[in-house]
Amino acid sequence: MEVNNTFGPIDIAISGLHTQGKWMEVISSNVANARTTDAGKGEPYRRLEVMFKTEGEDISSVSIDEIVPDMSDFHKILDPGNPNADAQGYVLMPNVNLPIEMMNLTVAKRAYQANAAVLKRYQQMVETALELLR
Amino acid sequence: MTINLNANVGSVLAKPEILTPKAGNAAGQKSDFANTIKAIEKHISKVDDLQSSSDMAIKDLLTGKSEDITSVISAVAKADMSFKLLVGVRNKLIEAYKQTMNMPL
Repeated sequence: MEVNNTFGPIDIAISGLHTQGKWMEVISSNVANARTTDAGKGEPYRRLEVMFKTEGEDISSVSIDEIVPDMSDFHKILDPGNPNADAQGYVLMPNVNLPIEMMNLTVAKRAYQANAAVLKRYQQMVETALELLR
Repeated sequence: MTINLNANVGSVLAKPEILTPKAGNAAGQKSDFANTIKAIEKHISKVDDLQSSSDMAIKDLLTGKSEDITSVISAVAKADMSFKLLVGVRNKLIEAYKQTMNMPL
């Protein structure tokens, strides 16, 4: 980057905020659909996972690479009374593990806070530099 | 808040026009100061762009046109930062001008 490098940290921190926000959205989808047995394609909801990527090779901002479905096996619970139960009385449930989602939620929250902290500190740094003008 | 800032930009924008002819007269042909003022004018228009874009971002957020708070934050942070720099430079310039004017001849 050239002269406008002063805004580099801002852009990067903002991209972090943006990405973590998106991750939060995916986590909330997973949590909300933790017991959705019908996701349209005749199978339960599949847990979604977020892949991050950098924007460039060098110093760069972060962005969402892709949101991929978690292909691990669905949970099988015994619930013979359920209309969706098979002959043995088992129902397929989404492959969402709430404790894992809660863990990811905390990680996403902390990452968001970290990016916000970077933004704030950088602003303070620039102000410190401008103090030298006086 | 932004409206006030824009008003400030306007008042600052008016300054170089006052300063430039005087600087040109004082320094005659070879005036580095006038060039400085010209560079600052460019910078001021950049700052003004940032201010108006942050203004637009806030307006879009408030009118519901966009829901992206982070982009508003980024626009406001950039506008704030560059405006602070501009004010710092302006204060320095005015100070320099005053010192020059107070020089005993």
